[in-house]
Order: sequence, then structure tokens, then C-alpha cells
Amino acid sequence: MIAYIIRRLFLLPIVLIGLSLLIFGMMQLLSPYDRLSTYVRDPAQLKQGPEVLKQLMDKYGLNDPIWVQYGRWLNNVIHGNLGYSESANMEVTKAIMRFLPATAQLALFAAIPVVFGGIWLGMVSAVHHNGLIDHTTRIMALTGWSLPTFVMGLLLLMIFYGWLGWFPSGELSNWAARIVDSPQFVRYTGMNAIDAILNGNLAVLGDTLRHLILPVFTLAYVQWALLLRVMRSSMLETLRQDYITTARAKGVAERVVIKKHARANALLPVITIAGVMVAGLLRGVVITETIFNYHGLGLFAVQAAQQLDFSAIIGFALFTGMLMILTNLIVDLLYAYIDPRVKLG
Amino acid sequence: MKKVWLIGLVFVLVLGLMAVAAVKNPDTLVVATIGDQNTMDPAWCYDTASGEVIWNTMDNLFQYDGESTEKLLPMLATVVPTLDNGLITQAPDGTTYIDVPIRKGVKFHDGTELTPEDVEYCIERAMIFDRSGGPSWMFWEPFSGIKYGGIEDCAKDLAGVDDFSKVPPEILKKVYDEWVDPAVEVKPGNIVEFKLPKPYPPLLQILTHGASWSAIYSKAWAISKGAWDGKATTWQNYHDPERENDPLYDSEMGSGPYILTKWDPGVEVTMEAFDDYWAGAPKIKHAVIKTVEEWGTRRLMLESGDADIVYVPRQYLSQVEGMDGVRIITGLPTLSNAVVFFNSGVTEGSKYVGSGQLDGNGIPLDFFADVNVRKAFCYAFDYQTYIDEAWLGQAIQPTGPIVKGLAYYPENSPVYTYDLAKAEEYFKKAYDGQVWAKGFKMTAVYNSGNDQRKTALEILRDNIESLNPKFHIDVVGVQWSSFLDALVGGQMPVYMLGWLADYPDPHNFVSPYMSSTGTFMGFQGDALVNLAKEKFDPLIEKGITQLAPEDRRATYAELQKLAYDYAIDIFPVQATGVHVERTWVKGWYYNPMRPGTDFYSLSKSED
Repeated sequence: MIAYIIRRLFLLPIVLIGLSLLIFGMMQLLSPYDRLSTYVRDPAQLKQGPEVLKQLMDKYGLNDPIWVQYGRWLNNVIHGNLGYSESANMEVTKAIMRFLPATAQLALFAAIPVVFGGIWLGMVSAVHHNGLIDHTTRIMALTGWSLPTFVMGLLLLMIFYGWLGWFPSGELSNWAARIVDSPQFVRYTGMNAIDAILNGNLAVLGDTLRHLILPVFTLAYVQWALLLRVMRSSMLETLRQDYITTARAKGVAERVVIKKHARANALLPVITIAGVMVAGLLRGVVITETIFNYHGLGLFAVQAAQQLDFSAIIGFALFTGMLMILTNLIVDLLYAYIDPRVKLG
Repeated sequence: MKKVWLIGLVFVLVLGLMAVAAVKNPDTLVVATIGDQNTMDPAWCYDTASGEVIWNTMDNLFQYDGESTEKLLPMLATVVPTLDNGLITQAPDGTTYIDVPIRKGVKFHDGTELTPEDVEYCIERAMIFDRSGGPSWMFWEPFSGIKYGGIEDCAKDLAGVDDFSKVPPEILKKVYDEWVDPAVEVKPGNIVEFKLPKPYPPLLQILTHGASWSAIYSKAWAISKGAWDGKATTWQNYHDPERENDPLYDSEMGSGPYILTKWDPGVEVTMEAFDDYWAGAPKIKHAVIKTVEEWGTRRLMLESGDADIVYVPRQYLSQVEGMDGVRIITGLPTLSNAVVFFNSGVTEGSKYVGSGQLDGNGIPLDFFADVNVRKAFCYAFDYQTYIDEAWLGQAIQPTGPIVKGLAYYPENSPVYTYDLAKAEEYFKKAYDGQVWAKGFKMTAVYNSGNDQRKTALEILRDNIESLNPKFHIDVVGVQWSSFLDALVGGQMPVYMLGWLADYPDPHNFVSPYMSSTGTFMGFQGDALVNLAKEKFDPLIEKGITQLAPEDRRATYAELQKLAYDYAIDIFPVQATGVHVERTWVKGWYYNPMRPGTDFYSLSKSED
């Protein structure tokens, strides 16, 4: 298995170079002036006339041949520099590190109800096939899957922030932000909730959770619908297998049949989806982050794309590419762990 | 049981009402807005979001008197120089000297005292910094007698080369010794003296609070951070850096009423009151500027009192009208305009001119070189409908490139009105009647996402197409990147852009719109450039070198009239602004030159 992991990890840089070449090539389809718009966002910057545009072209090497630009970029990457993000006003590496903890925190808190809630409800629905619970979860899944995230988010925000004033937008209240920014508060992970626990600051923890509830619910409600339905179908199929009938015929308790015999086997397709969904959560939080003014990686990526911020786009693509590869690897390993029939190598 | 529910409900309602009535976060003022700061370095800053932070953390030599854009008060200076008080003097050769006495006892945020040497350093650093597309031209114009637009122009001229990288080191030193150093000098008596080869009346405004590029910070701190060391022989190493290599881009050491405590780009800026501020400690202790792109979220923040001031786009104004505890102030005249440009020399191969011939299926590349075509377009625009529909009445029609609110604004200059009969008359005159007989087809372009520009071009299209079935105009929106590409490539025959004042003087508007070397004229084709060289340039130079207000007034009235006579562009709109705040915010005032919120003037209290 270790040889398998090493072999997969060796493939990582090759895939990432391929990815970077692809994005680089696509960016070159745009004219140099198109790409210059990253640096010229306002006509006031043209005050010195067209001459200033030539200066900017030279300054950022936009007229250089593609291989020169790619070589320059690759050389920087080898030296640990992913470039400067014009849209985030900081180095790309720094921007990813800045925004990752916020998104990771959101994804982490959302992943718990998504994965466990989805699996559990899917299982319960299958066991109570066509019963009240099954019908209820079907309606919940249907609304979750069909309700656009922005509608759900705005609705929740209007009720719980606008009317009731319980759960505000943003990441922290001003007073909590001041504590978090103070030298006394040690930043271990960049995730406010976990850092608050490690600092023993319950007030900040409470404030963080208060700000997390709505975005987490929005994200989770939309995402777990798919998992619920897959788990339900898989469980139904498993429950029809001969070995389940045999177990029941032998007089094994129904609770044991469900939990020991059926659930583990029904989990196999769910793990594939869950793995991809957790990775997807990290980059698929754009709308939730925008609505709740939650500054994470999704928002960073959208702004970078809108402003043709080349360094940020390619940096983000490499990061998510790496994430997907690692997630797939973990899913494969989990498969082998859960199903002894699967052999890696 | 019912009683318990009822009591509970009343309790929640009372709590809710109390929460709304009381001043929320009384020592903190939160602004929720869009847009993102680019830098904290005054030498780089050329945007209002960054300017807002610099306004609150740094001071300039002068400040505007409240809402006025004409009357100046001293700030770091002790007096405003004038001809009358003898601080502005002129030598027989036209060389103008401006002496500025510097206030004593002003502290930077690190506790060190501000000196005239700091002022000299900051202005000189802005001149040598001169990043591409940056604001340094505003110093080079006055200090070079409008000879150079930047330090590279100066160096190339002195060296007699076309490429700045080929300028030899001895010439680079000469640039500093002969042009940068003499521009600002420290004189005995705590005085800074500015030397101009010829008069340049807007210089004082260029040095006034709101002009981020002339904000003053600590020289010792800047050098310690790795900024220019102040030497004549090293300036080229600090000239036009990439943003990430600018050592001052993310911090400040000004003397303003607030200290920058955190800049989290794209998220928020937090500032704390500077208790040793020379004019007295601020009333608001914590100032926060949050970037909140989503309107719905900003609205809820305002409603709940989590934000005290929010940016409200015009189309959403009705959503805050009548909101409890919210004050709306409308009709605030901005010093900005939006303009429909004509290109008199479209580039060969443009996809926006149809066949490229006057054959009914396109327009010739120099279609707008004919003044009759330009006049016909000006008359075909329905100005009032545009203001009513696209701006919801929150705008006015200025009389030309010089906008209302500027000194010497020619109030009575003639303006084009919506008159289809006149438009028809000029179309019939254009190209000896061929335009009317053959018709034309072309495309007008706006940057997508800007619905006001889209509406303007659609109004123009509908009215012109109604005149003659042979007239066809397509209106297309393109991304800003593609728009820039088409603009620089000279491909668009008709398009829209706008301008926001750098300083409140008519020169800042006639120069970009009417000068042959102005920002926009470079993209409007040879015919209009040649017209500008012949008719406008001499007057523009005359206006900027005149000292007597009456003379300047006459010159700018003449320029405004010429813009009308030659119909160089359509000047349909000057926006008026909107301000929305909680009623517990006290002390807000409007000045169009202020880039955002002046936290120092504000406090929070119940009515």
C-alpha cells in the first residue's frame, strides 16, 4: 500500500504542471491588453495617455513570448513564489493561507451534518422505505437540492438576522475581532472556533458559532440532499441482497442486520461521493460566502476570475487540483480499508 | 400555558425594540461598503477606497473648509499661502515660489515630531516613485512648468534617448538635482518652499486633504521600512516598483486622527483613535471599514445597526426609504461625469463599423470627423429621460466637460437639448447628404455590468433609428478587459466612460477631455486630436498659467463653449450622490473631494 501511495504522490507534480500549462495556454488566447486590464481598472490610470499602457506592458512582461512568460512563472514557483494577486492585494500563497482557514472552518462544520446527517438519514429512509420518515426526508432532500443556495441564504439571513437579530453575517463581531487580533490571542490554525477553544476563550467561541450557524446550515442543507438520496438507494439495494435475507432467516436481530451487515456495504458508493463533496465544499462555497460576507477561498477565486488575475487563478487551480488528487487518494485508501476485496497496487 | 407564551412573546418584542432604540456599539463606527483598498502608500494611491484610509490616518498641508471645495484652511501648515499674505511670490521670469510654514508639535503615530524635512521627503518621493498609471503626474505638471508628465519623460528628454533604461547614471542624478530637489526645499523658520517654473493655480488643491498622493508620513519610518533613502544617486532603484515590492504598501506612519491597526485586504480595515492628535482626540474610538459586496447583507447590517453607514446603490434606495432609525441624504453633487465619446479615426479592421464604408451597411473609419454627425448625435440624445430612467433623477446635465461644483463653472454655457428635428437637420448636412441618403450601420459599446451606460446608448440608438429606417446602431456590452483592449486599439466608434476629479479645478476636466495629449483624446482619432491641437491646447495652457480668477473664468468659459461648438463628445450627466446612515450618527457633512468617511468629524448619540 505504501508503494501505491508513493506512486500516486509522484504523479502529483506531473498533473499540476499539466494543469498549469493548460491554464497558461488558455490565458494566452486573450490579447495582452485583455490581460493588462488586471492592472488598469480605471480610466484615471490612463492619464498619461497610451504611452502608460506600453510602460505597463513592459513592466509586467505581457508582450513576451508565451514560453518566456511560462518559464518566468515556473522559475518563481520553484522558488516558492506563486506570484502576486492583484485582486487580493497580497501574494497568492499568502492569500490562499489567509482565506483557507475561513473556508476550511465553514467546510468542516458543514461536513459534519452533510456526511453524518446524510448517511444516517439515508439509512433510516431506506429502513423505513415508503414510510413517513422516508417521505419526509424525500421532501427535505428535494427542497434542499432544488432550492438555490442564494435564495436559501438570503431567506435565512432575513429571518434570523434581519427580523430576529440572532445570527449576524460576517465571521466575528467587532469586539471579538479585536480580541482575536490582539497579541494575547494566539493563532494556531487561523480557524476562529478552534483557536478560541485552544485559547480557552469561550466568549469568542460563542461569537464564532453564532456567526457560523447560518452559513453552515445553508451549505449543509443544500449538500446533504444528494448524499441522503445516494445512501438511501445504496441501502435499499443492499437490503435486497441474499446475504441480508440469510442473516434475517438465521434470526439475527434487525438492528444488527442494519448496522453490521447492510450499512458497511451500502457505504461504498457513498464514500466516493462524500470524498468529492468534501473537496467540493472547499471550493463550492462561493455563494454562501458572498451572501454571509464570509471571506474565504471561494470569494477569492471568483474575484480573481472576474479581474483576470492570472497569478491568483493559476494558484487557486493548482491548490484545488492538489486537493482533489489528495482527496481521491484518501477515498481509494478508505475503499480498501472498508472493502477487503479491493486490493491497491 | 398560553399566558407563558404571551409573556415570552412580549418579552422578546420589548428586547427587540430596546435593541433597535439604543445606540449600538457607541464607541465604534462601522462603514459597510464595496470596493477594496489597493495600498496604504500615498505615493501609489490613486483610488478612493485606499484614499479613505489615508484620509483618516494621515494629514496634508491644507484642508477644505467643511463642504467647500474652494476655501482652504491650514492643516499641517499654519497658514494658507496667498498673493495677499505674501507667501506666494512671482519672479519676473514667471518662476513662482510658495512658502508654507509648517505647524510645530504635530506627532506621528510613533510619537516622533513632524518636521519640514518630512514634508520635503514625501513630495520628492512621490515625484521619483512615479509608478506607471499613478498619480505622480500631478506633481510633475506644476514642478516642470507642464513640460513633463513624469520623471521618465524628464530623464529621456535630458538624455536625448527614447528608452528610459538607456538613460546614463549621470543624467539620472541630474534629473534629481535639477528637477526634483529644487521643487521642494526646507527653509529656515520651519518653512517648506515650493518652486514652480510658472504659475499653476491648482497646486494648493493638489496638496490638500483628500489628495492622498500628498499626504505626509514620517521620513525616518519610511527609510527604516526600506523606502527611498532620499539620495540623488539612488532614486531609480525606487522608481515605478511592482506593488508587492513597495515597502510602504501595507502600513502607515502618519499624523492623522486614526492609527491603522489592521488591513485585511478585501475584508476590512480597522483603525483606533490617536489620542495625541494635534487637533484633539477623536470622539469615535474604533473605526471600521468593512467590504461587503452583497447588497442584501449590507441592508441587513444597516437595519440591525451593525453598520452605521452603508453604500446604497441608486436602484436599491427605495429599500431603505422609511427604514426606522435611518437617515437618507440625497442630491449631493459629485465632481464626476459620464460621457459618450466619438472616435474620429477608428482602426482598420474594427468589428464595430460594419462594412467600414458609407454604403448603408457600415460607417467610414472617420465617420465622426464630420462635425455634423457629432452634432446630430448630440441632438438625438434624450437627456432628461436618461437622468430620470438611468439615474432615477439623481443627476444633472452639466454644460460641458467642466462640471458643476468646480470653480469657474460656466453656468450659462449653451447645452445640447433633445431635439430630433435638429438631429435630422445635421444628419442631412453630414457628408453632403450621403449619410441621410445611404444610411449607416455601427455598434456602440459599453463595459458590461454598467447598466447606466447601457441605457444611455440604447436611448441614443432608439432615437437615431427613429429618424431614418436606414440608420442602424447595435448596442453591445463587453467585459472591462475587452473594452480596454478595444479602447486602446481604437476600434470603437462610440463608447462611454467617465471621470472623477483628482482635484477641484477645471483644468482637471478640460485636460483629459480636450487636450490633444489628454487621457481620452488619445483614443478619439486624428481628426479630433488635430482639432484639439489647433483650438483647445493654447487655451488649456493659458488657463492653467493664469493667476487672476477673472482671467481663468473667461478662459474656461471659452473652452466649455468650444466643446459645445465642435460637439467633441456628448456630456449627458453629472451624478448626484446619496448618503445613508443611522440617525445616531452625528456630524456628517459632504465634500465631493473626500474619498469616503471622515471618522474624525463623527460621533454617535441618541436623538
